[in-house]
Amino acid sequence: MVALLAWLIPVIILALIIIIFIAYYNKFVVKGNRIDNALAQIDVQLKRRADLIPNLIETVKGYAKHEKSIIANVTDARKALVSATDLKSKVKANDQLERALKSIFALAENYPNLKANENFLQLQNELSATEDKVAYSRQYYNDSILDFNNSIRVFPGKLFASIFSVKERPFIEIAPAEREPVKVNF
Amino acid sequence: MAERIVFYDQIARNKRNSIFLIIGILAVLMLFGYIVGIVMGPDYFTIIMILSIIISIIYVWAGYYYSDKLALASVNAKEADHIRHRQLYNSVESMSLASGLPMPKVYVMNDPNINAFATGRNPKNAVICVTTGAMEKLDKEELEGVIAHEMSHVSNYDIRFMTLVAVLVGMIAIISEIFLRSLWLKGDGDSDNKAGLIFMIVGIVLAILAPIVVSLVQLAISRKREYTADATAVKFTRAPTGLIDALKKIKRENEPEQKGRINKAVAPLFISNPFDTSKVKNLFSTHPPLEERIKVLEKM
Repeated sequence: MVALLAWLIPVIILALIIIIFIAYYNKFVVKGNRIDNALAQIDVQLKRRADLIPNLIETVKGYAKHEKSIIANVTDARKALVSATDLKSKVKANDQLERALKSIFALAENYPNLKANENFLQLQNELSATEDKVAYSRQYYNDSILDFNNSIRVFPGKLFASIFSVKERPFIEIAPAEREPVKVNF
Repeated sequence: MAERIVFYDQIARNKRNSIFLIIGILAVLMLFGYIVGIVMGPDYFTIIMILSIIISIIYVWAGYYYSDKLALASVNAKEADHIRHRQLYNSVESMSLASGLPMPKVYVMNDPNINAFATGRNPKNAVICVTTGAMEKLDKEELEGVIAHEMSHVSNYDIRFMTLVAVLVGMIAIISEIFLRSLWLKGDGDSDNKAGLIFMIVGIVLAILAPIVVSLVQLAISRKREYTADATAVKFTRAPTGLIDALKKIKRENEPEQKGRINKAVAPLFISNPFDTSKVKNLFSTHPPLEERIKVLEKM
């Protein structure tokens, strides 16, 4: 009887250790996947934005064809967004697009017919909504990175992280130049 | 001068406190069970425990599993229209992006009061319902604050948590019922020693008081989770102003519901208690007073 117990206790302890290892490994995997998912979500929202632009350009051209430079800004920004490959350049391109769009919407003030156009209004609303959604998906991306980094840095997560070679991830940053308020030129 | 508080800390604090409270309920359950076991004997104890778990779980489980359908049916909610309620869908989508949760189903209920609730056994089966009053009277930021609060309940698994609490409280109530009835039937022929008598008296006192006490604790837990949901909403929107303004409007404009319009069982799910718009700090309310919630939010 005693022999059985003496054999059982180390087995139980071993089992517990294995379970703890698995739990931490899985935790890192799950949190890491959340980050990847969040990144994919940002892409979804950015694509929706890009898809709305051609329609907007057509509507604007119908009323203000000669405002070539402002229209070109938007088209260029959209091109930059669609061709961007990594997160940093996507974020930069989106911010560039947002600035270009501000000029277009300010432009509409000079063209009352454009401003009253239903299509234009709807696109304006949808673009505004997607900008919010891009912002929220970026926020969640950063939140999930915070959660992940926290679990790696705290004790005892720290030990397991180094055993499994799990590294911290960087947040999305805003370049200092982009933090300045946007100037709208007529 | 009020000091600023950070929503992360607020979330952690209230979650921790609600866990302490649920441990408290568990402790009462254990203590009560132990005393009953001493008075009535171990076989009785086993049976009564099994019985109470089964009854309580069945009773509460159906409500939990079908909580989304039950709640929606009881208020006659209709699925929101993607075109007519575009603003609503945009806000819900924004909040599900901010929270990382899958997009819940969106419903609308006909009611001039500003209110909303969220339910569903897990984020995949989540449902959010908003009143017509809320959509008419709240602006974009305020509506987003309300929706953020509701998504917080989903995100924090509050439905599951409160169900767990309800099961424990239910068990205590059932044990109490059975125990008191058994005593009545059994008489005190067996307990002719002093210790037995003392345990019996303790048992009776517990049987009467415990259900009441844990019900109050259950309500306290509900209030803590409401504070947690407010703080989590700020985490999603990163600015408390929307929710603050919405709560202020609710305080100003909502009238108490007439009896029978909303099922009492569903009332705790709403952002503001539909029956009790009083400003009294009450041990018996599921929600903290609006005043207090606004005060806490303004510190963030």
